[in-house]
Amino acid sequence: MKKILIVDDDPNIIDYLTTLFEDNGFATFAAHNVKEALDICKREIPDLITLDLEMPEEWGPRFYRKISQEKNLKNIPVIVISGLSGSSHAIAKAIACLQKPFDRDELLKIVKENLK
Amino acid sequence: MANEILIIDKDISHANALGVYLKRKKMNIYTAKNSDEILKLFDRINIKIVLADPSSFHTDFISILKKVKKFHPEVQIIIMAAPEEFDYTMAQLKDEAIHYMLKPVKSAALDMALKQAKTWVTVNNKLLRYEKKIHILQQTQNLFQQLFDEIPCYISVQNKDFRLTATNKMFKRDFGDEIGSHCYQIYKHRGTPCEKCPVSDTFEDGLSHSTEEVVTSKSGKQCNVITWTAPVKDSRGQISQVIEISTNITQIRQLQDHLISLGLMIGSMSHGIKGMLTALDGGIYKLETGLANKDAKRTDRAFEQIKQMAGRIRKMVLEILYYAKSRELVYETVEIEKMAQKAAEDAMAIAIKKGTRLKLDIAPSLGTIQVDPNWIHATLVNFLENAIDACIYDRSKKNHLAKFDVFEKSPNQICFIIKDNGMGMDQETKEKMFTLFFTSKGSQGTGLGLFIANRVICQHGGLIEVDSEPGKGSCFKITLPRKKPDLFPIVSFP
Repeated sequence: MKKILIVDDDPNIIDYLTTLFEDNGFATFAAHNVKEALDICKREIPDLITLDLEMPEEWGPRFYRKISQEKNLKNIPVIVISGLSGSSHAIAKAIACLQKPFDRDELLKIVKENLK
Repeated sequence: MANEILIIDKDISHANALGVYLKRKKMNIYTAKNSDEILKLFDRINIKIVLADPSSFHTDFISILKKVKKFHPEVQIIIMAAPEEFDYTMAQLKDEAIHYMLKPVKSAALDMALKQAKTWVTVNNKLLRYEKKIHILQQTQNLFQQLFDEIPCYISVQNKDFRLTATNKMFKRDFGDEIGSHCYQIYKHRGTPCEKCPVSDTFEDGLSHSTEEVVTSKSGKQCNVITWTAPVKDSRGQISQVIEISTNITQIRQLQDHLISLGLMIGSMSHGIKGMLTALDGGIYKLETGLANKDAKRTDRAFEQIKQMAGRIRKMVLEILYYAKSRELVYETVEIEKMAQKAAEDAMAIAIKKGTRLKLDIAPSLGTIQVDPNWIHATLVNFLENAIDACIYDRSKKNHLAKFDVFEKSPNQICFIIKDNGMGMDQETKEKMFTLFFTSKGSQGTGLGLFIANRVICQHGGLIEVDSEPGKGSCFKITLPRKKPDLFPIVSFP
């Protein structure tokens, strides 16, 4: 079963994405901040990451920079899901950037295409 | 031209001789047989000179001449009188007549009298014209003075020393009647001229200049003005003074600042709003799938989530609407105990849901208070909810408790204390907590709640005192007067 790491400080959004992905046959892990996300990443090596940008303490692009420096993490596809406008410029190598509130069908389509 | 002349002489041959002579002088001759004819002639013809023998009519001709002079003061009367009547006539008419001649009239005397009469007619005409002009000038001056005083701008006239030589009513009202003082002293409360001065620029180049300034009224209040200057020239065309007109745009600037901060607010809140809408989507998704799969547990959780999100969105929208428009309080006299109980009930529901204890201690028989009950209720619930959240976010201890105490501080003041043993606040949070857009709740906060709560308490003439320590908890003490304040504190937008 493919594994998706959900990184977002909002528990309601984590709950939403967890339910959505699990309903569609994916295993999920959740992280509320960059530190948690890094720990889970190193432990579980997810197949895909959804990443919020604006989080307390450290923000999303910093997490991306850190995993880009890890050999076994740098190729994990990342989907940015953020409420910030202009988020498409934050992580140039993200496979997609979705603005909150996102279209769930569109999100699932991107996830499924990248986890075939 | 004074060419119309009325001859009144009982001696027909003398009158005819005069007529012939005067016609040769290019004068238009008129005669009258009685006093009625005389008065009618003046109504019809613009007669300026009367050449009359007062003994011509049986009636009191002298009184007729006086009447003519009264209604037509510009008419010049030349009297011809027989020697025996000369003194009497002169004594009667005095200076009503311009010239007295003995009859029979000699041509030289007549020429001299006519010349004098025509001169006086010309002078009178000029005087009349001048009188009219003076009247127009006075009217214009009055109008100018009215405009000067009634225009809703600050108007001042300054000489080359920057001293005020004239000011209008509005200027006097806000800056004082300070003719002779320096404009920079009165406008800016400075001891020296301003570095950048539109009046100075106008003196230099003779052109109008416009600037935006901040000036200080005699009461010390500062206001934003747009200033426009124009040169005032003397009869030689030299700039002797400059007129300065200033329009108060303080309200416009405040509105502009408010719109800017509103824009900033919307910008900064958009992230939070989008988060809430996404969470609402999540609830809807769970509801759809819960119903489709007949998963009652999921459906129940979905309903709860949707209700929670709808509540938060509602709160945020109301806060935005409150901030967008300054609202007047709608005061009512309410029972303090009931008001506190109502807020406590709402808070208790939140506390139970979030798994925190909330203890109430509302003193009995507190009487009544004059407040806007809706806003005070929202404010108290806001503080109580914050206390409950502080307990939830605190992971350092297990036993959390939020407390709500209400008591009489003094006969005129009621105190509401909201206390918790939650996460507490550091110094930065304490200093910024009532600031617009500041939130310690991350994506869960709007940055408006405490700002608005603080405004509501201030508007009621109340006070909030805060005591907090990181890791130990916080205590908010809200003191409200029982009666609404007489003078409403001016709570301006940031």
